[in-house]
Amino acid sequence: MTAHDHWKQNTSDPLGLSDLESIEPGYDGWDRIESALQANQASKRNWQRAGGWLAVAASLVLVISLVLNNTGISTPGKPPVKEFATSEVNSASVPVQDNINALIGLSQNMEEQVKKLRQETSSMPAESAIYVAELEDLIAQVDNELSLTPDSIDLWGQRVNLMLDLAQIYQQQWEIDYGRMASL
Amino acid sequence: MELDELTLAGAKRGDMHACEKIYRMYHKQAFTVAIRICNNRELAQDVTQEAFINAFKRIKQYRGDSPFWGWLRRVTVNHAISALRKLPRHEAVELEDYMCPGSGDQDGLGQCMDLEQALQQLNNEDRMVVWLHDVEGYKHLEIARLVGKTESYSKTRLNRARAKLRKLISGKDAPNTHNLTLNANA
Repeated sequence: MTAHDHWKQNTSDPLGLSDLESIEPGYDGWDRIESALQANQASKRNWQRAGGWLAVAASLVLVISLVLNNTGISTPGKPPVKEFATSEVNSASVPVQDNINALIGLSQNMEEQVKKLRQETSSMPAESAIYVAELEDLIAQVDNELSLTPDSIDLWGQRVNLMLDLAQIYQQQWEIDYGRMASL
Repeated sequence: MELDELTLAGAKRGDMHACEKIYRMYHKQAFTVAIRICNNRELAQDVTQEAFINAFKRIKQYRGDSPFWGWLRRVTVNHAISALRKLPRHEAVELEDYMCPGSGDQDGLGQCMDLEQALQQLNNEDRMVVWLHDVEGYKHLEIARLVGKTESYSKTRLNRARAKLRKLISGKDAPNTHNLTLNANA
């Protein structure tokens, strides 16, 4: 140690606290840290998959909505669009039952995704919780109507869209939770 | 002891072997900082563990333009201060409460207390400030920001802590309080 170092230490550390020895932890906490990191990585992967799935589902709903518009089937509160001659050619080639089956499949998958998201999300702010409750009410209403008309493509489309909205709320909450953890 | 690029890159990719290597390299240092601030072994263990977990989660944010230990130390210090804030106030050990075992007066303190013991007798805030400033090299402004107080608070605490330590070590009032004040303001 040079004279300058001595002088610097004396002024910034006059009592010589830096000379105190390091303290042996006396334990090995790596296993717990590793478990926590692995759990975090697994959770992150699940959410990335869920996020990707949401995007795919949203795209499918968009495609199906476009197809529905082209086939002339109206959505609630929306008058049928007058078709041009060119789109009438496509409409004949799209079997409606295939679209219904696709929407039912989507709806079932969304149900699974929402279930997983719900389990991994902490409690959410009151506003989000109210919105979730409203969406769940709407889904229940749609389910009720579907029990009367199970082949309604409009109702299945509505159900998938509502499930998408629900999943997005849970995903946003998870992102907030994750950001909060990372900032600690 | 500086972290090599390969290990750092591995940890950023989430490689557990790289993370474990980093943990083994810095565990003792991180634990020392945590226990110096918290003055409690169990709490320091929790703080160290949480600090490592969060450091590994955020390791992509470390750009490598400063020593890795400096970055990890900040994470550890933040966790330690956060842990102290959560403690009930009565758990803080006040200097005034201290009585050296087997001695009934202040004159006996100097004979039975070394610097290590004296440091443990400071209250949480004094110990934290004197340790961060004198050992870890934090500036008053940095300490003030960490604890959400003013620079004056940090300077005052530092003066008090040094004076108390001197008193505990020598067993009498600090003889050189004026110099300590000047140093603290430096």
